[in-house]
Amino acid sequence: MKPSLLAPVAVPTVRDSSLRHLPADAQDAFRRFQAGGDPAGLDPVLFAILADFMPRRPEAPLAGLPGSTQLIADLGFDSLAITEVVFFTEDLFGISISNEEIVRVRSLADLRSFIRQKVAPPTGR
Amino acid sequence: MSFVPVITGLGFVTSIGHDSASVLRSLRELRHGFAPVEFLGNPDLPVKVAGTLKGFSFPTPNWRDWSWPEAFHVDRELLRGLAPHGVYAVCALQQALAGAGLDAASLADGTTGLFCASAGSPFMLHTFLNQLHETRGERGNPMGIVASIAGTLNFNLAAHYRITGAVCGFVSACASSSHALGYATDEIRLGRQQRMLVVGAEDLTAESIVSFSSLRALSHNPDPATSSRPFDRRRDGFVGTGGAVALVVEEATVARKRGAHVYAEIAGWGQAGDGFSVAVSHPQGAGLRAAMRRTLADARVEAAEVDYVNAHATSTVAGDRSEALALQAVFTAAGAKPRISSTKALTGHGLSLAGVMEAGFCALALDRGFIPGAAHLEEIDPCCAGLDLPRTSLDEAPRLVLNNSSGFGGSNVCHLLRKSA
Repeated sequence: MKPSLLAPVAVPTVRDSSLRHLPADAQDAFRRFQAGGDPAGLDPVLFAILADFMPRRPEAPLAGLPGSTQLIADLGFDSLAITEVVFFTEDLFGISISNEEIVRVRSLADLRSFIRQKVAPPTGR
Repeated sequence: MSFVPVITGLGFVTSIGHDSASVLRSLRELRHGFAPVEFLGNPDLPVKVAGTLKGFSFPTPNWRDWSWPEAFHVDRELLRGLAPHGVYAVCALQQALAGAGLDAASLADGTTGLFCASAGSPFMLHTFLNQLHETRGERGNPMGIVASIAGTLNFNLAAHYRITGAVCGFVSACASSSHALGYATDEIRLGRQQRMLVVGAEDLTAESIVSFSSLRALSHNPDPATSSRPFDRRRDGFVGTGGAVALVVEEATVARKRGAHVYAEIAGWGQAGDGFSVAVSHPQGAGLRAAMRRTLADARVEAAEVDYVNAHATSTVAGDRSEALALQAVFTAAGAKPRISSTKALTGHGLSLAGVMEAGFCALALDRGFIPGAAHLEEIDPCCAGLDLPRTSLDEAPRLVLNNSSGFGGSNVCHLLRKSA
């Protein structure tokens, strides 16, 4: 049997390479959102993304943590991991996040409301 | 006051074993680590054999898809900044530290340094730069640089182990980790550090290995049992491998005080440039000859005292011939006849990894009292006249062992290891 590690690999996009690593409930939630669902249903996706990029494996499910939980102080995120989350999230939702916006997002609640607001369809008349 | 460097820890992730016991068995019994491979999904490529790393898998550049033997633990925090050879290196260093009886917390007080060698990861760099081009610079893996460029080993390992002593990476192609070990020896001898971690590693990927096909340096022999046969008349190029080897080098008094097992003393080292060609060794092995002589002089040892030479010989037509001539000039001409073999017949050529890998093998030979044989050698090339190339491993306990390495640009580095008193 010849090892496959030497076969050529296509350069992956962020979505291709990482969405398949997220749990099934997160993938389902993302597909429901894509089909026109409510941004409020995106929590499983956000928690899965955070868990995937956390430098250390989470000790408890993120969904059970209070909204005040701090990304850096409580969950151990560093600037590199936050950058990874930002790039992934931008590509997944087709949004653009500025550096000024990143520094304002400090807790789980901040992140949840920021993403909901970013991905919500325009409501202007 | 003189400071004497000794080797107190060995860690192996090699094609012939992932621990000292299995490496020792492979060296004694001349078991090679080669397997058929298909590079780049192309069955038409003439390069069909590699020294594979059993139990490790890196099917994509995404660390979430990687796997390694259960015996090893790689922190998730560390993994995101690693290339495949960084994973090998973490596994090798864990072994070396455990064998030396050192815990990670003891490395952070400034008395321990870290010297590393690899070519970086062409596999990861290729992926990172492709993404950059495809997105016209708007996207890139934040860890892409530290996971791919030369230096990735020392970046990651120094941060992870909180090393506050000397930290450096060495880049002299196939002499790189020999340079790392040589300068680590000096750090100890000059009293700058009490302990040095020396790590050499390379990816085993098409990007790292098949690139040498352009130089016509790789063997086209599809038979794993004969594809790497240094000093054989029918040799036709080297067989590539990857992996990692880690050595713990300590000042002898410090090592003795804490009761560490000493595998070997580093008696001296030396280096010399060929001053000749960017990619081809000097036809008479001038640089290697000078490097061997400087090493013997550094250790105050006569050629006749050397019991075994672990040759650099990679199984290329020109390189092995150059080394044979250099060995004749240093030893045969002085009436000396050490045993000589190239363990690349078993492992393949590990590029930057080669020097420290073979220093580890030499330390095992001194510690366990044997001499590795010249595997796969059937028809000795006439250019090797007068050299003693034993076809099997010997139960002879060497006292002084020379380890040769040569790299692109004509860098030649040697170490002389002595049996611990």
